[in-house]
Amino acid sequence: MSMNENPERIAGFHAEIESMKIKATGGKNESKLLALGVLLGVAGLALAIYGGIMVQNDSNEYNQRAFMATGSYIGIALLIGGAALFVRYSMARYLRFWLIRLVHESHANTDRIVDAIDRAANPPQ
Amino acid sequence: MTSDALVDPVYLLELQGVRAAYDAIEVLHGVDLAIPAGAVVALLGPNGAGKTTTLNVACGLMSPSAGKVIIAGRDVTGVAPEELARRGVITIPEGRGIFPNLTVRENLQMATYSGRPLPEVEEMTYHQFPRLGERRTQLVGTMSGGEQQMLAMARGLASDPAILLLDELSMGLAPLVVEELYDIVAQIAATGVSILVVEQFARTVLGIADLAAIMVHGLIRTVGTPAEVEDELSAAYLGG
Repeated sequence: MSMNENPERIAGFHAEIESMKIKATGGKNESKLLALGVLLGVAGLALAIYGGIMVQNDSNEYNQRAFMATGSYIGIALLIGGAALFVRYSMARYLRFWLIRLVHESHANTDRIVDAIDRAANPPQ
Repeated sequence: MTSDALVDPVYLLELQGVRAAYDAIEVLHGVDLAIPAGAVVALLGPNGAGKTTTLNVACGLMSPSAGKVIIAGRDVTGVAPEELARRGVITIPEGRGIFPNLTVRENLQMATYSGRPLPEVEEMTYHQFPRLGERRTQLVGTMSGGEQQMLAMARGLASDPAILLLDELSMGLAPLVVEELYDIVAQIAATGVSILVVEQFARTVLGIADLAAIMVHGLIRTVGTPAEVEDELSAAYLGG
């Protein structure tokens, strides 16, 4: 048994692979962004609660405004941004699995149909 | 990793310490496998050993949770499968991946995405698989399993593969048809294409393989020439 190398094709293949622009993997980015969404959401919620508590506990109107601005508003913005990231990337993952499942079911159905046609064409003697 | 029969080969495809999981279930526990340029490598093992997952990682359909996929010396871990396919890493999946509601000709048209014109694809296909030429206007779903597998191979070959990944070529086919298909695989190998064949039925593929690897429980257990691994086959399949 000997190998049958085709040096020209192999050299061409090496060149094509070498010329590829390789980005950070989509899957890894997706997981990172999903985690970032969770982190932002938690941080935003904590900040909003902190802002709310501080506003309640401080009678000075200027301090209350400052806590409202830096605590509650920024916290709520972070919470919304984090929730959006989480929904976006968890949905992408869910939809991908759903698509894979559809493709798999379609293959299984096709095999069943082909099998049924075969059996109809060649009934057992 | 390499057999003594292959001294200092150039590897076109290498998997290094690849781990892969479906959610929490890890199925590959550190797979090391290398495909020398121009070689036919058979990946054998019982059902559920992780062969198809290995193939899916190699062609980019699945990202490994750890480890590297190296193609032509470059780390391509996580690169999209269509990017690899465009450059010559072609997969013929289990279940063939053809369109049963389209004709042979229309299925071949799907292979023209790589830039090769349809008349050229057709000429090449009908030359290599004359039976497909006779059935060019027939709906693929009504053809025999062997003919469908030929079409899947023809579509893969139309993309000018440098590495061909074949998954369970023999699935659901009669032994004579399988023999015919492996004759064609041997012809493809003779043109210098590197081939990784995943097979559950080992004997069919050992005749054309340069190297064989036995996979059990998500790990490569043995790599060697077909003669070297033959003795281990029964033990692997019977769980010894």
